[in-house]
Amino acid sequence: MRRPTLRPALLGLAAFAALACVPAVLPGFMVFQASIALTYAIAILGLNLLMGFNGQVSLAQGVFFAIGGYVVAILMVDYAVPVWLALAAAVAGNAILGALVGIPALRLQGLQLAILTLVLAALVPPLVMRFDKITKGTSGISIDKPEPPAWLPLDQDSFVYFLCLAGAGLCVLVMSQLIHGETGRMLRAVRDNPVIAESFGVHVARTRIATFATSAAFGGFAGGLFALVNAFVSPDSFQLFKSFEFLAGAIIGGITSMTGAFIGAVIVVFLPEWSSHISLAMAGLIYGGTLVVMMLVAREGVAGLIGKTLSRAGAASLSMASQTKPHPKPETRTMVLAEKE
Amino acid sequence: MTLILQQLVEGLASGTIYAALAVALVMIHRATRIVNFAQGEMATFCVYLAWQMTVWGLPLYVALAIAAVLSFILGAAVFRLAIRPILSAPPEAIVVSCIGLFIGFQAMSLWLWGSDNLQFPRLFSNTIWTIADVRISANTAGMLVTLALLAGLLAAMFRFTRIGLAMRAAAAEREKSPYVGIEVETMLTLGWGLAAVFGFIAAVLAAPSLFLSPTMMLSVIIYALAAATLGGWDSPAGAIVGGLVVGVAETLGTTLVKAIGAELRLAIPFLLITLILFVRPQGLFGRSGTTRV
Repeated sequence: MRRPTLRPALLGLAAFAALACVPAVLPGFMVFQASIALTYAIAILGLNLLMGFNGQVSLAQGVFFAIGGYVVAILMVDYAVPVWLALAAAVAGNAILGALVGIPALRLQGLQLAILTLVLAALVPPLVMRFDKITKGTSGISIDKPEPPAWLPLDQDSFVYFLCLAGAGLCVLVMSQLIHGETGRMLRAVRDNPVIAESFGVHVARTRIATFATSAAFGGFAGGLFALVNAFVSPDSFQLFKSFEFLAGAIIGGITSMTGAFIGAVIVVFLPEWSSHISLAMAGLIYGGTLVVMMLVAREGVAGLIGKTLSRAGAASLSMASQTKPHPKPETRTMVLAEKE
Repeated sequence: MTLILQQLVEGLASGTIYAALAVALVMIHRATRIVNFAQGEMATFCVYLAWQMTVWGLPLYVALAIAAVLSFILGAAVFRLAIRPILSAPPEAIVVSCIGLFIGFQAMSLWLWGSDNLQFPRLFSNTIWTIADVRISANTAGMLVTLALLAGLLAAMFRFTRIGLAMRAAAAEREKSPYVGIEVETMLTLGWGLAAVFGFIAAVLAAPSLFLSPTMMLSVIIYALAAATLGGWDSPAGAIVGGLVVGVAETLGTTLVKAIGAELRLAIPFLLITLILFVRPQGLFGRSGTTRV
């Protein structure tokens, strides 16, 4: 397996620079939406790790997103905790929670886990209502957006956008550390053939739980940032639909592609928005139709589609989609661990 | 005691709704190994069609019969157009496709009929019998009888007719069935159509008490998932028992356990699913699959 070369790193840097120009180019409300899309991208990155590199279908990312949001809101508003500490608490808390969910998940096959996590995700709004002493129930919690430091010539929305961008950048770095090299090979081995991975000395259970924890931590971080961007959390923001959006975004973008996570996030944030300009009720119809059609024509997501087109044109593949097909054939999967560097 | 018995009866009533939808989910799962998360929304759409026909002046039962046929066609069409082409895709792709259908059908109901709650006519009379201080409405009894009849019909069809046998064969052995002359795809399409009819019946039973709205079946599908998991994903009979158990557990749990209360009633299907997955993952009536290495 090839070590990550300089080229993806450069491409990533270029994309990062392009994204940094967004507040200067786009109007205010689009900056807000772009920030939301960045938080979605972070949650989807976490989901990619879990689904694309560990083969577990989870609809619980919305749960961790919600918990992250509420942890940040409650800590900042009720306990006057500084932003960075509140975000760190959201990450740490969700990592622990993710590990706790990950332990029973070891025993569940794909479908069972999907159902259990779906019901868990549906349970979020009622739980928020039930513990309304802490969560303030339907009235929700308003948060003061973090103020930019005096030496930065930025308005508040742009500052929050850059906060999200920095967060997303951090997550991409963490993610690329995880999916390349030794750890990545371990993850893929566990996904493709746990028995053989075990016999090569990989601790399958521990790897799975750790992946679940990391994925949940991404979700919690994203939720915390979302609370800052939105400056408000309420049960309405964390309906079952949120988990649907994350899953859809992950698959639409391309389940093993980091670029895909961002593409997917942009699609699930902006597609309903744009189509609601046509007609409010048509928005759902277009959205749902797009999901169905996407699965018919481009099952490996937009990143997979671009990758395929590029490689057909003889150019280098855009992402690591070429290295990591979502579900390789059994004959090819077993040799992952035995390959030489 | 009377309170508990009364809640038991109420639970059975809502249990019939969960059971009918769970049967639909299980039929689809048995045939195609897919959990159709959109089943409830498709059913709601068809109940809207029935409602529209009653508004146009058709008698209720005629409208229901036509809508049942339409839901069969809808289920079959959804399978042919959206699901069959990706039948061999990884499960997450199919899940996303079902989410797309879910969003699409909900939006379509919203677009055509708006978000207001509509009154759907009762199917049975308003008579209430009192037996040993327990009030049993004709509505509850009617729902239970409907479910029993339909379940009997379905079982008889699978058991005694050629087409039922062919459908079971197609579900069990997709690769080998063609060798004995079974058109697998036709059978799977039939399965999806029949399942859609069962989903429609669940929604019709639910509509008078829940009021007709685009999101009517949103919580019902959660209970139905619990029912199917409880009964076992390859057993229609299990789905019916599971549905009734979930219904009773819901009413008893919300009245008797103060910590749950009315707000957290969705916690009950979650707890049931968790419990069954750890005690008996294949469900009460399910057979545990053996995998060939």
